[in-house]
Amino acid sequence: MAINKTYFQSLSQLANNPKLDLLQEKEFADQLPTEAFLGDEDKLSESSTSRRDFLKFLGFSTAAASLAACETPIQKVIPYVVKPEETIAGIANWYASSFYDGNDFASLLIKNREGRPIFLKSNDLCEYGGINARVQASVLNLYDTSRLKDPMDNGVSSSWSQVDKKIIQGLSANNISGKGVVILSSSIISPSTNSVIKAFVRKYKAKHVVYDAMSVSAMLDANLESYNRRVIPTYLFEKADVVASFAADFLGDWLDSGHGKNFAAKRNPNNGSMSRHYQFESNLSLTGANADYRTPVKASEMGLVLLNLYNLIAKKAGVSLVKVVLSEHRNTLQKMADDLWKSKGKSLVIAGGNNIHIHLLVNAINDLLNNTGKTIDFSIQSNLKTGNDQHIAQLIQDMNDGKIGALIAYNVNPVYNLAQGEEFTRGLGKVDLSISFAEKLDETAAKMNFVCPDHNYLECWNDANPYTGIYALVQPTIHPLFNTRQAQVSLMSWSDLGDDYYSYLKDYWRSNILGVTSWNSALHDGVHKLKTKEKPVKFKTSVANIVAPLANLSGDSIDLVLYSKTGLGSGEFANNPWLQELPDPISKTTWDNYLTISPRFAKDIGLNNEYVSNGALDGDVVDMTIDGVTLRVPILIQPGQAYKTVGLAIGYGRSGSGKAGDGVGVNAFVLAKEFKSILSGVSLTKVEDAVHEFACTQLHHTMMGRDRIVKETTLSEFNKDPRAGNEQMMLETHKGPQEPEKITLWEEHDRDVHWWNLSIDLNSCTGCGACIIACHAENNVPVVGKEEIRKSRDMHWLRIDRYYSSDMTEEVAEEEGISSIDKFLAMEVASTSKSLEVVFQPVMCQHCNHAPCETVCPVAATTHSREGLNHMTYNRCVGTRYCANNCPYKVRRFNWFNYSDNDQFDFYMNEDLGKMVLNPDVTVRSRGVMEKCSMCIQNIQKSKLDAKKERRKLKDGDVDCACATACDTGAMVFGDGLDTSSKVYAQARDPRSYHLLEELNTQPSVWYQTKIRNKA
Amino acid sequence: MLESVLLMIRQLCKLYRSKYLTLLTLLFICTLNFSFAQSVELGESLFSSNCASCHYAGPEDKKLVGPGLGVHTIEKYSTEWLYSWIRNSSALIASGDEQAIAVYEEYNKVAMSAFTYLSDEDLTNILAYIEVGPPEVVSISAGESVLSQEESSDPRILLLIILAILILFGLILSGVKNSLKDAKGQETIGLLESAIIWIKDTPVVIVLFCLFLVFSGGRFAWNELLAVGVQQGYQPEQPIAFSHKIHAGENGVDCNYCHSGARHSKSAGVPSVNVCMNCHTYINSGTISGTEEISKIYNAIGFDPESKTYIEGYEQKPIKWVRIHNLPDLAYFNHSQHVNVAGVECQTCHGPIEEMAVVEQYSPLTMGWCIECHRETKVDLDNPYYHDLNENWVKKYHGEDMTAEKIGGLECGKCHY
Repeated sequence: MAINKTYFQSLSQLANNPKLDLLQEKEFADQLPTEAFLGDEDKLSESSTSRRDFLKFLGFSTAAASLAACETPIQKVIPYVVKPEETIAGIANWYASSFYDGNDFASLLIKNREGRPIFLKSNDLCEYGGINARVQASVLNLYDTSRLKDPMDNGVSSSWSQVDKKIIQGLSANNISGKGVVILSSSIISPSTNSVIKAFVRKYKAKHVVYDAMSVSAMLDANLESYNRRVIPTYLFEKADVVASFAADFLGDWLDSGHGKNFAAKRNPNNGSMSRHYQFESNLSLTGANADYRTPVKASEMGLVLLNLYNLIAKKAGVSLVKVVLSEHRNTLQKMADDLWKSKGKSLVIAGGNNIHIHLLVNAINDLLNNTGKTIDFSIQSNLKTGNDQHIAQLIQDMNDGKIGALIAYNVNPVYNLAQGEEFTRGLGKVDLSISFAEKLDETAAKMNFVCPDHNYLECWNDANPYTGIYALVQPTIHPLFNTRQAQVSLMSWSDLGDDYYSYLKDYWRSNILGVTSWNSALHDGVHKLKTKEKPVKFKTSVANIVAPLANLSGDSIDLVLYSKTGLGSGEFANNPWLQELPDPISKTTWDNYLTISPRFAKDIGLNNEYVSNGALDGDVVDMTIDGVTLRVPILIQPGQAYKTVGLAIGYGRSGSGKAGDGVGVNAFVLAKEFKSILSGVSLTKVEDAVHEFACTQLHHTMMGRDRIVKETTLSEFNKDPRAGNEQMMLETHKGPQEPEKITLWEEHDRDVHWWNLSIDLNSCTGCGACIIACHAENNVPVVGKEEIRKSRDMHWLRIDRYYSSDMTEEVAEEEGISSIDKFLAMEVASTSKSLEVVFQPVMCQHCNHAPCETVCPVAATTHSREGLNHMTYNRCVGTRYCANNCPYKVRRFNWFNYSDNDQFDFYMNEDLGKMVLNPDVTVRSRGVMEKCSMCIQNIQKSKLDAKKERRKLKDGDVDCACATACDTGAMVFGDGLDTSSKVYAQARDPRSYHLLEELNTQPSVWYQTKIRNKA
Repeated sequence: MLESVLLMIRQLCKLYRSKYLTLLTLLFICTLNFSFAQSVELGESLFSSNCASCHYAGPEDKKLVGPGLGVHTIEKYSTEWLYSWIRNSSALIASGDEQAIAVYEEYNKVAMSAFTYLSDEDLTNILAYIEVGPPEVVSISAGESVLSQEESSDPRILLLIILAILILFGLILSGVKNSLKDAKGQETIGLLESAIIWIKDTPVVIVLFCLFLVFSGGRFAWNELLAVGVQQGYQPEQPIAFSHKIHAGENGVDCNYCHSGARHSKSAGVPSVNVCMNCHTYINSGTISGTEEISKIYNAIGFDPESKTYIEGYEQKPIKWVRIHNLPDLAYFNHSQHVNVAGVECQTCHGPIEEMAVVEQYSPLTMGWCIECHRETKVDLDNPYYHDLNENWVKKYHGEDMTAEKIGGLECGKCHY
């Protein structure tokens, strides 16, 4: 049969384009412009330069260039002209200071090398507040190139005198015209700053409006209603036997960064008892992951759950019950109520979110349980968050009504982090004079008339009163890098108070705080404590009024819970590449925010995550609409997420943060109308053909039945047998069962000087990730960016593995007769039941004493020291990567590229300013070498040298590695395992101690301690 | 040889004549009080770290900032007076002490720094050292250096001489052979020709010669390659022609006075200009090019030598010294570890720095060089840091010397991290 079909190569061919015929004959339609590059043929043949000559020149110039390169470049040494007395080149100075950014407070010691702050750690003199990943990373913000270098006058660089003149003029004009002057700030905990603001307010008859991006206004209002005081009390986790948390992420961002260490203090099983922690929540939070009992609840049902708990407690207390439907979680609630009642006065009920009714009910429950005044301390109140949601709403209204003449924004970014950002921007157009103190040209500052850039906190004097009776000082640890000026000085110079904030602060302290204590000793300690008075509070709320709004269920609609990640928080630090690259503790995803969705719900509505051939994760994209606002977000299937509730992290989607933070993720603040963190009535539409590429550092979910990786047991088992869950492993040999350590081919290493050991208590480790950032800062670990992370080329020396429990076990498989392929497939799936459990395990180089990496290195670049360390010599390494292949812990990292001075990795190591944060005692590794945790050998060597110089023995506590200093909960302990008086010596002999992958007999120097859950 | 010995004897005689009395006193003092020698030594180190920056140890008229300090300078005053003067001269002046005021007036009302931290014992030692004075070593060391130079050039000269003798011998032999042949009426061949014939007839020689060329060439190339990046002998021109010979050598300023970091820190530190100014506030001229060079310091810090005041609001210009000792970033070196803990002398690595008018890199600073020293250097086991470790080691090493190597001083990670 003849074929009449026409085969065509392109549509033009089908349309009989004449040019195509020409192309079919000749490869190029037009003659190639050879003239242009070969020139005249005659001339070419006449030329005396032959091909041989060309090669000669080429050879000569190559040789000349290589010879010239052999010459060593001249280096200069530039000493000080006048050396500051306290500075010795090569020796670090530590200064006491403190950190507060509107969310977290921490009293710090700041390490300063040759005038540059490069590292920070907790100041042990202050038991309040604490270090988290963001505080630890804050040192890098100082060296951010996107910081403003000069004051700005309508988008143009200006001088301070010019700007001051215009601003004072504007403010005075405003004073006359009668419109209001407003200072809009986040919560301010500095008493002397408040005093400066008061003076300004007096002079210009101004108003001071405070709001917090992560608002707790409802909690403050609830306390006002319940106790007649609009304050946040301190929560004494260290005294609570039972903690019942309703979506309060207290190990993450709930109120205070110091809860972790207080909570951990009550979780030491060696005391025979531990606090019991219940968590009801919708998203899987860091806190939920650490809970003894965790129950996923649909977000809008939280009120109902709490009302049920109230009834159970009220029944025991003998007060009248409220009318409410029974919750499906009543069994867990009953257990919880029994526990709470048993520990009356020694328990804590807390709740997250910004819903006043929830907080009123929680207050009522705590009152029934007699906790107020015992575990909830109103005499020491927290000043960290004082914002009022109504005030900012009113301000925006006033701005749009043209009632505001001048607006000064201090440490706030309303255009970005208010749901009414657009309304605010519109209102800003009606304000005559707008001034921002922002450090960089952020979303709000870009729309202001004047930007008077504030100093970084490491450059200025300041103070803080984070809690009643606790006063802390902030001192400069570096000369201001740019032509910036402290916000306080700006306010002072506009209100005729001079420009010397240091003296002002000192006078304020002398007359109001110090008493008989000297300024110098307060400055040395960094913190000053005053005696506090007991302030008893009385509960006075009727529960009847709050039943109706709480019992109101959203029915079948989809809920959204906005949450903050431990890395980025509310997004102020979005331009910090360390934090962007810090894997989220739960999802292990970097450089992204996404909609977390439960596996069952995702399946129901046909959404999927997929692994691609290189092992990376891709996800579907949805359009999410709430109240007419639509966001296009990728979805990430999150085990443990409540059904029909999705979660989205705030702090992403910045456009004015700088090159690292801009355009990463989407801005979830636009949804948070009225500062609500829980929203109902979400609709999700899958975007066809859209695929989002995730960059995750861990893609496997479970331990696949190898439950000797993270060992775990319950408190009751542990009390019966301290080695519960940590039974000695035996291997079969021809001599009968033997401990793995006894079967060896190797000779022992000498252990006669020191034996550096690190002990990690999995029971205290909350997985927060502060240690990862500390390791970044201390060891010059590079940032590699999203693309490289996606290729599994992350450089973190220390990672935190997260494992979910699985519904499939060997026993279940045997019972149900499941084949082994199916069994292992099922094992990799995280549990879909409500009892999903999560464990964390920090893993760094284990410094094996029988190290598999050492034996395979062809050039002996990785060797064993007689102090038990596994050395990695970068200058010897030729990059075969055998060691990484042979490492059972997968902790070795290969430098695929030069990460410094490389435009492909345009992060802080590609800029002169950013490189100032590098630790001068640690080599910046170059391309093609392997690297890994060194147990901060630079600190070990330094401490040993100090002891030798002072002619004394090394004592426990002299040596610390960065991760252990950053660990607020005390989970990580570092020291000399040969020193019988050391903490780590005792830890290693704890019955809970074990080695990771003990069956391989690598004899690591890192010990882990079994995790204990306080379950019946 | 004979000449140099004669020279030495002549110089020694000269020395005896001029310092005869001083030496006798010294001998006398030594026999009187045996422990005194110890305190003179301590006094010397105290003097060099505290006093030497402003005072010479010598006759009074040898002025630096203050008078030269010798036995004649201090014998005018009572010991108690000297103690209180050194400890706090301004207090003594303020108290109206006549002698003190006289000294103050004499030295243009320049106050001496207070040394309140010096103990009585320290002061006794310093005064003892001043009385004895610095040992006169210049002429003897000159003689020594002449000798050592001759010794060091010996082997090469010897080789050349042997070679010359051999050639001469060959020439004589061939001359004799030729004259014999000539006498016998045979044809004579020159030495060169006969050598060529011999080489042509024996191919082994050619092979051996080629092998020699290959091996020596290879060795030469290997050595050259090893020397890439090794800057031994590097002696760049510095922005200020600072002479260690004048400061550390002739004036005996202690190394630690300027390189104060060496005892505490990983870097010894190039002194900041204000350290220079401790002395050069007063010393503003030199014999050859000193005046010009010192003015460069003033230019850096903004000091007016005429009025002896610092210029207000001067934009200071840091001095950009050329770095001589460059360890690569991958190697960690700590001065205090070597200077303070191990007690290594500066000269061990930096060479006779006190004789260098222009500093050069004395040691190769290669890893082989580091390791060689770590293999040989004994650890100071008296340091309490090592106390209970020592017992294990005695057992393990059967009382052998504990070297840096044995405590892990050759491990990669100790210097590379």
